[in-house]
This record gives sequence, structure tokens and C-alpha cells, in this order.
Amino acid sequence: MNNGCLENRKKEHDNSRKRPKSYKFGSKSDDFALAIAKVAVGQLCESVGFQGFHLSALETLSDISVRYIYSIGKTANLSANLAGRVEGNVFDIIHGLEDLGSNLGFSGASDVDRCVVSSGVVKDITHFVGVSDFIPFAYDLPGFPVVKESTKTGSFWEKGEDPPGEHIPSWLPAFPDPETYETRLSVENETMGVSNGKKSESELERVERNMDRSLLNLQLRFAHNENKGRSSHGSGYVATESNPYLAAPLHVGEKQVSPVVLPTKLSNEVALRNPVHVDVGNHVSVLETFAPAIEAMKSGLCDPDNGKKKLLYDQRPTVRFKIGIGKKSLGTISDLNSQNEEDPLKIASWFGNDNEKDDKKRRVEKILKESVESSKE
Amino acid sequence: MNHNRQSNDGKHDDDSALSDFLASLMDYTPTIPDELVEHYLAKSGFQCPDVRLIRLVAVATQKFVAEVANDALQHCKARQAAVVKDKREKQQKDKRLILTMDDLSKSLREYGVNVKQQEYFADSPSTGMDPATRDE
Repeated sequence: MNNGCLENRKKEHDNSRKRPKSYKFGSKSDDFALAIAKVAVGQLCESVGFQGFHLSALETLSDISVRYIYSIGKTANLSANLAGRVEGNVFDIIHGLEDLGSNLGFSGASDVDRCVVSSGVVKDITHFVGVSDFIPFAYDLPGFPVVKESTKTGSFWEKGEDPPGEHIPSWLPAFPDPETYETRLSVENETMGVSNGKKSESELERVERNMDRSLLNLQLRFAHNENKGRSSHGSGYVATESNPYLAAPLHVGEKQVSPVVLPTKLSNEVALRNPVHVDVGNHVSVLETFAPAIEAMKSGLCDPDNGKKKLLYDQRPTVRFKIGIGKKSLGTISDLNSQNEEDPLKIASWFGNDNEKDDKKRRVEKILKESVESSKE
Repeated sequence: MNHNRQSNDGKHDDDSALSDFLASLMDYTPTIPDELVEHYLAKSGFQCPDVRLIRLVAVATQKFVAEVANDALQHCKARQAAVVKDKREKQQKDKRLILTMDDLSKSLREYGVNVKQQEYFADSPSTGMDPATRDE
């Protein structure tokens, strides 16, 4: 088990870890004491001559030994209470031992006038002590259970104050300090002119003001630390004091940020809206990259439906509604977006379902023919 | 009168014997630690500031456990001796004495503690019954 010298063996039917015993010996709070008991009982069994145990047997025996202690204590307490005492003495314990040993019997049990002092139980124990070897417990134990130190209630007596009035006993908790509930005469009477009735609010306001002040101090301290960090950047890493989330916000252009790649349509609209946009470097680069495409778009736009498109851009640049005359608009879409030869399949895919491919194809081909004819016209 | 004096002397002897014994307990540290005994005595409600009484309870418990373990050991050895009569090989193999629930329950029964275990665990009520009597 816990000792290196003791060995455990697995058995056929292992009892479950959950103990279906009475709550006072099976609860989780008793685990520590039961574990200690197991070690002690294991040591005793080893001294008797055993070389190994079944775990269930060890647990059973340790549980029984613990109950033995408990029952001695219970009987001793009972006999002490019967005698009108609160604390037990040696006679109470001997009574308890006699009670527990009565079914097996001890010498002198049948004597009518027997004295507890000369009880056979004590003689047996004395004999046992003389015979048995000295086997100390394997571990050093602290006193348990650890008693939590009780918090001071802050009574009058503890604080050393005299309770106001004779009717208040000194063991009661003391009254709060008068500063917490009285208005301050120095400053607050000036600021709050007619606020005699608002004593409670002044306390709240004071607390809030303190909070604000402390927050402000905190912020100032962080700003100060940040400045410190920036100035002494080479010297060390000021990680603990400078919190990046509390740092002052950066101005535009202070820090190099990766450029945002806008989608093509949006970039064109931006270019058309702001043809001269110099101060922000990102947009200029986008403009430059998409310049040929923009030119192509422009050329494509100007040819068929000039006025309509311009109208659209002036009003709603971001959303493009092609409100053409039915077939013509479709034709313009095809002209604009596919610079190469039109792929009927590609155009067909715009119109949705693959199930009706054949019908769609035919329709698309018709439309294309018509649009080409109209443009030629 | 004489009888009383003799009994008084006897009582004094007993008293001294008891007090001597309690004093000697402080030299002998029992295997069961004092803290454990104190914990369970406190749980039972027994209040006592005297350390010697706690030692007394510890020694008494140690005696009890030693007796139970001794009886279990006797049972274990008896079983091994019975087996050895049949096969002499087992004497060499099973030299190890192991505390089993079987031996423990036999020894505890004499002390008035009934510890009984299941012989086997069945998965359904009809396990182990004759196939003819099963309702399937």
C-alpha cells in the first residue's frame, strides 16, 4: 500500500470504491483519517505475520478498528454524562472497554463486586504492552482536522470601546465609525448648500469620488509607465507595467499596417469617386494595380449605355443595379465582364440550376444572338 | 475490619498498578497514532485533555486489531495446511500469507462483527438456473 514493505494483490471480486456504509465513516471528509487507519492496520498485520492483503480486507479491518475507537469514545462519554461530568476519565474508558470486551469475556467479568481499577481488561492490556514489539507509525502526522481561525466579530469588548448606553452588552458587535455616516463639516457643506437631508447620498458620492480618483490615478500610472517604457526601450522589457490594452490610441500613420486589398468592384468605385487620393498610401497602390482594368472598364462602359451608368455612379456607387431594357442589359453584362469570347456555359451558370441546362443553353444562345444583332444595329 | 483493611490495601495496589501502567504508556508509543484516536474520540463526543487516556484507547485498539489479525492468520495457515495434505507443491508456492476477506470474516464472527460478502455476482435473475426452468 503506502509502505514499501507491504504488498497488495488483486482479487477475483473487488469491492467497489464507493462505500455503502454509514455516512459518518464513509463520507469524503473522513478519507484522510481512514487512510491513516489503513496504514496503521497494515503495519499491525505485518507485525502479526501477514505478507500481503486483499484491499477489501484491509479496508474492512481498518474501518472496524476505527469504529472500535468510536464506540469506546461513545460509551465512555455516556458513562461520564451519567455521572454528571462533561470530561471523561480513566474509569469511563475502562467501562467502555469492558462493554466491548464483554462478549468475548475477560478475567473477572463474572465477579459481582468487581472494581473497575482491578478490571481484567486493564490486566490484559498491560500484558499485551509487555509482550508486543514497539512498532511506531510510519508517518509523522499533523494535528487534524485543522481548525480555521475564527474572524474577529469586532465586538465592543475587542475594540476596547465602551458601548454607548448601559443597555448594550459589550460582547455585541461595535457600532460603525461615525465618520461613515456623518457629513463632513469642512468641505462638503460649502459644495452642497442645502443638503442636510441627503446624508446617505453624500457617503455614496464620496465613495464614488474615491473610486473615480483611484481609476484616474491608475490610468495616469499606466500612461506614465508607457512613457517610461518607450523612453527606456533599449534598457529592458517593461512588460508588467505597460498594458497594451490600456495604452493611448495610435494616430493614423504612426504604425505600419499591412495594406487592405479591396475587391475589384469596390476599388473601381473608389477610384472613380476619388480620382486624386494621395495622402493615404494604401489606396494609391490599389489604384495603380488596377489601373488597366479600370481603363478597360471605362472603355466598355462608355460605349453602350453611357448616361445610365453615370447616373448610377453618381447616386449609388456601391450597389450596381443594371436597369437596362431587358435583353440589352444582359448583353452589356456579357460584354463587360468577359473580355474574352463568351462561354455559353459560363453564362448559363449565372442563371442557376444545372438541371435545366439544355433549356437554359438555348435561351442564352437566343439572347446572345439578339444582343449581338442589336449592338450591330 | 481486617477484611476491609486488606481490601483497602488491595485497592491501593490496584490504583498504583493502574497509575504505573498509565505512566508506562507514555514510554510506549502505540502503532495507531494519537491524532487518529483523538479525531475519532472527538467525533464520538468524548472530551479528555489527558494524553494518557488517549494512549490507553490506542493501545486497546491495537490489541483488538492484533487479536483479529492473529485469528485470521491462524485460519489462513489452517487452510494452507489442509491444502498441503493434497498437493505438496503448493507448500512451496503459497508460502505467502495473505489477508483475505474469507479469513477476516471468520475471525471477526467470533468478535460479534458480521462481515459477509457475495459469493458471486450474477447479471440476471435467471443466471445459473436450469435451462428447462428458464422462461425464455
